[in-house]
Amino acid sequence: MKMAESVKKLLKRNKPGTKANFFRKWPDEPFEEMESTLAVQEFIQQQIRIDPSNIDIILTPPDSQEEGVWKYEHLRQFCMELNGLAVELQTECLPDTCSQMTSTEQWIFLCAAHKTPKECPAIDYTRHTLDGAACLLNSNKYFPSRVNIKESSVAKLGSVCRRVYRIFSHAYYHHQNIYNKFENETYLCQRFTKFVIKYSLMAKENLIVPMPDAIMQGIRTEEDGTTSIKEP
Amino acid sequence: MRGPLTPFSLPAMNTEEGYNGGKPGQQQQQAGGGFGQKGDNGDGGGVNNKVKYTMPGVLHFIQHEWSNFELERSHWEIDRAELQARIAFLQGERKGQDNLKNDLIRRIQMLEHALRAERAKYHKLKYGTEIPQSEMQLPSASSSAQDEYSSIPEVGADSEAPLSSVSNVSWKQGRQLLREYLHEIGYTDTIIDVRSSRVRNLLGLNNNNNLSGIEQGQSDNNQINGNNYNKRFSDNQGQCSPTKRTQQQQQQQNQKKLLDVESAVMANFEFLSEMRSTSDSGDVDMDDDGVDDDDDDEDDDDDEMGMADDVIDMTSICKFGPDDVDAEAEEVVNELQLLTEDISNKENEQNDWKVSNRDVFNKNSNNANWIKNEPVEMVDGNMDLALGLGELAQLTVNNESETNADIIDMKTASRKTWNAKYTLRSHFDGVRALAFHPTESILITASEDHTMKLWNLQKTIAPKKSASLDVEPLYTFRSHTGPVFCLAISKNGEHCYSGGLDNVIKVWAMPSANIDPYDSYDKNILINNLEGHEDAVWGISVHHNRSELLSCSADGSVKLWSPTNLKTPCLSSYVSDQDEIPTSVDYVRDIEGQFVASYNSSHCVIYDIETKSPITRLECSKDPSEMATQLIHRVKCHPTLPLTITAHDDHHIRFFDNNTGKMVHSMVAHLDAVTSLAVDPNGLYLLSGSHDSSIRIWNLESKTCVQEITAHRKKLDESILDVAFHPSEAYIASAGADSLVKVFV
Repeated sequence: MKMAESVKKLLKRNKPGTKANFFRKWPDEPFEEMESTLAVQEFIQQQIRIDPSNIDIILTPPDSQEEGVWKYEHLRQFCMELNGLAVELQTECLPDTCSQMTSTEQWIFLCAAHKTPKECPAIDYTRHTLDGAACLLNSNKYFPSRVNIKESSVAKLGSVCRRVYRIFSHAYYHHQNIYNKFENETYLCQRFTKFVIKYSLMAKENLIVPMPDAIMQGIRTEEDGTTSIKEP
Repeated sequence: MRGPLTPFSLPAMNTEEGYNGGKPGQQQQQAGGGFGQKGDNGDGGGVNNKVKYTMPGVLHFIQHEWSNFELERSHWEIDRAELQARIAFLQGERKGQDNLKNDLIRRIQMLEHALRAERAKYHKLKYGTEIPQSEMQLPSASSSAQDEYSSIPEVGADSEAPLSSVSNVSWKQGRQLLREYLHEIGYTDTIIDVRSSRVRNLLGLNNNNNLSGIEQGQSDNNQINGNNYNKRFSDNQGQCSPTKRTQQQQQQQNQKKLLDVESAVMANFEFLSEMRSTSDSGDVDMDDDGVDDDDDDEDDDDDEMGMADDVIDMTSICKFGPDDVDAEAEEVVNELQLLTEDISNKENEQNDWKVSNRDVFNKNSNNANWIKNEPVEMVDGNMDLALGLGELAQLTVNNESETNADIIDMKTASRKTWNAKYTLRSHFDGVRALAFHPTESILITASEDHTMKLWNLQKTIAPKKSASLDVEPLYTFRSHTGPVFCLAISKNGEHCYSGGLDNVIKVWAMPSANIDPYDSYDKNILINNLEGHEDAVWGISVHHNRSELLSCSADGSVKLWSPTNLKTPCLSSYVSDQDEIPTSVDYVRDIEGQFVASYNSSHCVIYDIETKSPITRLECSKDPSEMATQLIHRVKCHPTLPLTITAHDDHHIRFFDNNTGKMVHSMVAHLDAVTSLAVDPNGLYLLSGSHDSSIRIWNLESKTCVQEITAHRKKLDESILDVAFHPSEAYIASAGADSLVKVFV
């Protein structure tokens, strides 16, 4: 009986030769039936696949899901999708035009990837930040398991969020076309903003990319009108 | 002493009843005693209550024995057929050599004549007179040749090759000519190549210097058959003893009487084998002569002779060893030169190396004669003699396979088991492909997170964020706008190529092995975008020395690219005539100008790159319901043999002969779909990865699993997506859907 079921069950595989149209086109599966240890990632990706614009659904954890892993897997997914934005920026965001990582005139961000924080050009800041985030989120020390995450490590997620958000803000203020195109396809910045607000991972005054009210829930940032250097 | 002696005992049965090798005989008595008793009680009809043998048991035993005998008999039949084939082959070889000799002499005469003509011309030009007749006729033997060939115009041109100095070009020409010539006279390349491939196998060399790829391929194929042949023989070795047993059972009483005689014989054997072992290192000739003298004596001499035969065989192989085919050609050319210098004194060799070779040749032909003569008796129906000869042939091949085994043992000794060394963690999603740098300890991985990463396995950078990360990626390749499915590094290590869901193949410059991971962005690292596919690119294969690239895509086409050509990189496109979608592609490595593509129909097709036409179709099944389950995830070609290996969805790995298109082996290799394959650079081991989360290492010769490692966890229903061997160093790696890459040393 069990044999028959397992044969019948469609395997979620992308076999070589799969056409792009059929890539990852599996029937949806409830979270409870996902047996793998990476079920949270599978579930998040499935929800995004169904409708990337339905941010509330995507950010709604399944019942009894531990919050640390939920946040961690979401951040992984953000960093992964941010690669797409970085790819687009690589064509336009050149060291000549964007020699510093800025969004509004208020801050110049220093790149935290170096031993002493450094004023990297925007594109390098973007790449280094994503590379650094990949290292941290895959670090054997802080995140040895994707099933159980220590409370002390969850605290690290905030700084990752703060840094990667600057990529959104730089794109929005300096490469509007790229940002709009990317955002229309992925709703990534909206999802990210909602995510950090929901889990209080960033101070709200740092969320400087304008958002629909539904996302921001009426909270505005304050600006003091001066340009200063912001430590990472 | 016991090991080496065992083979000797078998021929002993041939002549005299009860004339048996001592030790096996004794063993037999012990073992057979029980059976005899059993039989007696069975006849008694179970009257004796003490013994618990039952009628069905006895019947079963008898049936069992009978089926054993039948089995053995069929084995002998097979052996006999194989031996006859071998005899025919050796006869053919000898005939070929005779023809070769005759034709070489004729050729020499032609060359001689040409030389004289040239001299005469030169003389005439220089002195304005005809060369004196006596001077011209100096090499007496060639006068007839002059008459015979004086009208052939191309002789002059031909003579250049052997006569000119040792420049490479002329060697090549000469070799080519000789080859063609040999071909004409029936001394086929197969014969040359069988020997050379044997040599190659023995030395573990991979000679890529293909003068004639196809023929070489065939001979390699023969080699495979030869190995099977060896194996069967060694299997039979085990079965020899039962036969012996039964015969001995019948002769038990006689044997007892002859025990003393046997022990004497055994002593004799020991002496002989000692003699053999000393003569192994020493003079081969002595053995040979001894054999000729004692040919009609006791059967143990047959064995002795078999050994001698084998020793010679090995010597000849070793002599030819390092230079392979070239050595033979060179030798022939040498011979030509020598003989041209002094044709009347043909037998007087001045070159030591050549002398030894020639001796070996002669001995080989002697042995061939001997083998040819013996079987006549065998065919006459003397089964015992056939047994003896079977043993002989077995000895011959066995030694060869022993040497093989030694080489393999050496290899395995140097890398007994693979142990996990690094876990490369940096990808956010499943890793679809990985590739090693051809020489350095550099690995590139490609992932569904749209990026590729470069890792230097020797540079374990002090991690900034955590102490326990052993390797961090040095570079992240960002340009793909979708998951990356396939990856390859050019053979010079200067470029790497990647393809994925976004239909584009990217050509990248290889970053320095010591690049700062947080260096500034250099957009020149992306050299070229190969656009042309209209759907996801699932497979890439690079040519082993040209800067050429094959890709296969879900749009149904396989394309050939010149990756650094910025304007029109696509050279040609290959589409299956049966509307199939390619799943994987690889260059045929042992023959230039061909590639193999696997299709979602579970078939593979070998194409000619130039003509774009299919050459061979490799089909494992024609049944549509089976074909549906046999999707090929990966196809790989053996680096030196005409062998294609396919990884199937139905848990199998299958092996195909490229020349015949026939499946030569099929095995259930994993508990789930086999997704990836890699062949080690020497072509001895196969690495396979599967969705059952394990990687397995296979001995390609015996097709047995050497090691299994559980390496990755599952994401969705996928687990291991790629495996790779480092082309020059002792690394293997596996890529998993769990975003990890593991490296084993």
